[in-house]
Amino acid sequence: MGDFLVWVVWFLAAGGCLATGVAVVSLTNPFYSALALIGNLAALAVFYLLLSAEFLAAAQVLVYAGSVMVMFLFVVAYLGGRADAPWAGGPPLLRLAAIVAAAALLVEVVVVLGLAWGDDLRGAAEITDTFGSPGSIGELFLTDHLLAFEITSIVLLVAAVGGVVLGTTPEKKDEEAG
Amino acid sequence: MQGPGIGWYVIVAAILFGTGALGVMLRRSPLIVLLSLELMLNAANLTLIAFARQQGSLDGQIFALAVMAVAAAEVAIGLGLIVAMARRGVALDVDQAQALKG
Amino acid sequence: MAAGAWVCLLAPLAGALGITFAGERISRRTAGWISTLTTFVAFGGGLVAFFATWAADPEEREKVSTAYTWLAAGDFEVGLQVLVDPLSTVMMLVVSGVGGLIVWYSMGYMAGDEEERRYFAYMSLFVFSMLLLVESANFLLLLVGWGLVGLASYLLIGFWHQRPEAVAAAKKAFVMNAIGDATFALALVLLVWETGALDYLGVFEDVGALSSTIVNLVALGLLGGAVAKSAQVPLHTWLPDAMEGPTPVSALIHAATMVTAGVYLLVRTHPIFEAAVDVQQLAAVLGVVTLIAAGLIALVQWDIKRVIAYSTMSQIGYMFMAAGLGAYGFAIFHLMTHAFFKALLFMAAGVVIHHLAGEQDIRRMGGLREALPRTHVAFLVGTLALVGIPPLAGFWSKDAAISSALETGGALGWTLYVAALAGVALTGAYAFRLYYAVFHGPAHERTPEPHGPEAAHEAGHGEGPLSMLVPVGILTVLSAVGGLVSIPGVWHPFTHWVGESAEAVVEPSTAQDYFTSALSVALGLTGLYLARRAFAADRQLVTSPSAWQVLEHKLYVDELYDALFYGPAAAVSDVLRRDVEVPVIERSMDEIGSGTIQAGGGVARAQSGLLRTYAIAIAFAVCVLVVVFVAVR
Repeated sequence: MGDFLVWVVWFLAAGGCLATGVAVVSLTNPFYSALALIGNLAALAVFYLLLSAEFLAAAQVLVYAGSVMVMFLFVVAYLGGRADAPWAGGPPLLRLAAIVAAAALLVEVVVVLGLAWGDDLRGAAEITDTFGSPGSIGELFLTDHLLAFEITSIVLLVAAVGGVVLGTTPEKKDEEAG
Repeated sequence: MQGPGIGWYVIVAAILFGTGALGVMLRRSPLIVLLSLELMLNAANLTLIAFARQQGSLDGQIFALAVMAVAAAEVAIGLGLIVAMARRGVALDVDQAQALKG
Repeated sequence: MAAGAWVCLLAPLAGALGITFAGERISRRTAGWISTLTTFVAFGGGLVAFFATWAADPEEREKVSTAYTWLAAGDFEVGLQVLVDPLSTVMMLVVSGVGGLIVWYSMGYMAGDEEERRYFAYMSLFVFSMLLLVESANFLLLLVGWGLVGLASYLLIGFWHQRPEAVAAAKKAFVMNAIGDATFALALVLLVWETGALDYLGVFEDVGALSSTIVNLVALGLLGGAVAKSAQVPLHTWLPDAMEGPTPVSALIHAATMVTAGVYLLVRTHPIFEAAVDVQQLAAVLGVVTLIAAGLIALVQWDIKRVIAYSTMSQIGYMFMAAGLGAYGFAIFHLMTHAFFKALLFMAAGVVIHHLAGEQDIRRMGGLREALPRTHVAFLVGTLALVGIPPLAGFWSKDAAISSALETGGALGWTLYVAALAGVALTGAYAFRLYYAVFHGPAHERTPEPHGPEAAHEAGHGEGPLSMLVPVGILTVLSAVGGLVSIPGVWHPFTHWVGESAEAVVEPSTAQDYFTSALSVALGLTGLYLARRAFAADRQLVTSPSAWQVLEHKLYVDELYDALFYGPAAAVSDVLRRDVEVPVIERSMDEIGSGTIQAGGGVARAQSGLLRTYAIAIAFAVCVLVVVFVAVR
C-alpha cells in the first residue's frame, strides 16, 4: 500500500514537472512562464522528498522558489510590456537543428541508462534516518567540502557586486563621460 | 527504497533537460531563455540528488546545493543584464545582440 | 722572430680598426698618417723578423708561432699561426715596405677627397690581409688572407662608387677572383680529406703518399686560385678594368702585391707542384701565353694605366714561368724587383694624371719632360728597369727567370725560352711607346674640361707634394739598385735565402745567364728603337687595321666569356624568372596569402553572433562528447 502510494505521488509529481517544464518553454507571456517555473520547482521539491533529500527540498522552495523566482517576477513586472515574448521565427534550419540536438541528447541518455540499467542502477543503498538532514549536510559542508562552501560564498559576493555595477543608470554614466 | 527506481528519476530529469535546451535554443526573449536555463539546472540537480540516494552518499546533495547557489547568482546577473538592456532602449531580443559577429 | 712577425701582421689591422672606429672624430689627414705609420711599423716588425731569422742557424730558420688554436678535431689542428721563414720574411718586407711607400704617396694623391678616411681604412685592411696571406702557417689562414685581399681589392676598385664603371669593375674583379677562390677551396678540401692536415709542414710531409690523381687535382685547384688572383690567362680579364680604382690602389694591389700572391702560392706550395709536374709546367705555359698576349694588347692601349696594367700581367707571366719551371728564387726575385719598378711606374703615372687634372689618355699627353722633370727621370728609370736594361733591377731578375727556361731544355724549355725573349722585345716596344707619348713630342693642347675618374683633383699641381715625391724617389733608387742582390756568377744571397724555403729545381749556369742577358738586352733595345722610330714618324707600332682591331678588343676574350658564360646564364635566369619564379613561386605565395584570407573568411561566417546558433553548437558538441565518454568507458 505504501509503495503504491509512493508510485501515485511520483507519477503526479512527474506529470506536473513535465507539464510545467513545457509551459515554461512555450508560453508567450513571461509572467506565466515564471509562474510555471515556480510550479516546476514545487514538483521537484516533491521529488527531492521522495529521494530523502529533505533539507534540499526545503532549500529549493525557500531559496529558489521563494527568492530567485520572486526576483524574476519583480523584473518581469518592471519591464512590463517590453518583456512580451512572442514566438518569433528564426531560420527553419535553426529550428530543425535545435530539435535534432535536443532529441539526440535525450536518446543518448536513454541509451546509456538502458545499457547501465541492469547492473549499476540496481537498487539503492541503505541509508540512515539522518540522510539528507540539515545536520549531516552542514557537517559535510564544514568538513569535507569546506572549500566549496567558501567559494560559493565568494561567487555570491561577486554576483552582488555585478548586480550593483549593472544597475548603474545610463544617464549618470553619460554625465561622467561627457 | 520505495517507489520507482533511480532510472525513472533520471529519465524525467533528462526530459526536463531536453525541454530546457529546446527553450534556450528556440526562444528569442532573453527572459524566457533564462527561465529555460533554470530548467536545465534543475534537471541536473534532480539527477545529482537521485544518484546521491542511489549511492548512499551525501556528496551529490552538497553538489546540488552548490549548484543552487550558483544558479541564484547567475540569475541575479542575468536579470541585471536584461534590466540594463531595457534601460538603454535595446530591444529584448537575443537575435539582435550580434556584437560578437565575426 | 715571431714577435716581429706578429707586430708586422697586426699593426695594419690596428690601423684599419682605429680609423674605422674613430670615424669622423679624426681628420682625414690623421687617417692617412695612421695608415702610413702603422704600415711602416709593420715594416719595422718585418725587419726584426728578418734579422732574427738571419741571425739564427740555417736549421732553425723555420718557426711556427701559434696565437690560438681555432679548430682541433682529433689529429687535425688549425688556428692563428704565423710562419717565420726566409720566404715569408722576404714577402713581409716587400709588402710592408712597398705598401708603406704607396700609402704615404696616397696621402698626397688622395688629399681633398671626401672619403679619405674610408680609403685609408681599406688600404690598411688590404695590407693586413696581404700580410696574413704571406705569413700564415696553414692553408686555412692562407685562404682567409686570400679572400680578404680579394675583398679589399673589391672595396678599393669600387672606391668611387658613384661611378658605375668602377662598380662594374669591382664586381668583375671579385667574381673572377671568386672562381679562383672556389678552385682553391676545393683543393683544400681534397687536402684535408687525404692528408688530414692543413698546416704547411703537415701537408708537405704527406705529399709523397698521395695518389697522382689527387695531387694533380689539388695542384690544379691551387693553380686556378693563383691564375685568378694573378690575372693570368684565362682569368685575366678583370685586371685592366680594375684600373678604375685610384692610382695608388693600382700601384699597391694590382702591381706590387695582390697580383703577386699567385706567384707566392706557387712557390710556397712547391712540394705539391713538384709532385704534380704536369700542372707545374702548365703554370709556366700559362705564364708565357699571358706574357705574349698582354704584351701585344699593350701596344694598342691609349690609357696610360691600362698599358701599365697589361705590363703587370706580362711580367707576372715571367714569374709564373719561373715558378712553373722550378726556379723559385728567381720567381720571388723578379716579384720583388717588379714591385719596385711597377709601383714606381704607377706612381709616376699618378703624378702625371694628377698634374693633368685627371687626364689618362696618352693621345692628349706629350712634352711633359719640361713640366715634370723629376717625374720624368723616375718614369724613365722605371721603364728601363721594366725592359731590363743593366744595371737596373729588372735586368738581373728577368734574365735569371728567362735563363731557367734555357736550363730546363727540352721542347718545353726551348719554346718557353724563345717566347720569353720575344716578350722582352714586346716589353721594350710598348714601354717606350708609352714613355715617348707621355714625355716627348709637342705638348698637347689641354681640353678645357678635365674628365676621367680623377677629375676631382685640381690641375697644375706641379710635381706634387712631398708625400708624393719622396716615395717616388725612394722607389726610383730601389729600381736602380734593387737588383744587385743577385748577380750571376758573383753572389746570390737573395736566391740562396729564398732557396732555404723553396729549393730551386733548376739552376742556370753563369754562362747561360750571361748569354740570355746579352740576347735580352739586345731585344729590349730593339723594341726601344722600334718604338722611337714609330714615334718619330708619328705612327703606331701596329699598322695592320685588322690586327689593331683584334688587339684593341683584347683578343676578344671578354666577348668570348660573355657568349660562353654570361649569355647562357642570363638566358637561363630569364627563362627561370618568367616560367618558374613569377607563375609558380610568386603566385603560390600570393595564393597562400589569399587562400588563408579566404579560409579565414569562411570560418568567420561561423561567428554569426547569434546566441542561439552558439547554443545549438554547444548542444551538438555535448552529444558527441557523451558518445565519446561512453565509448571510452
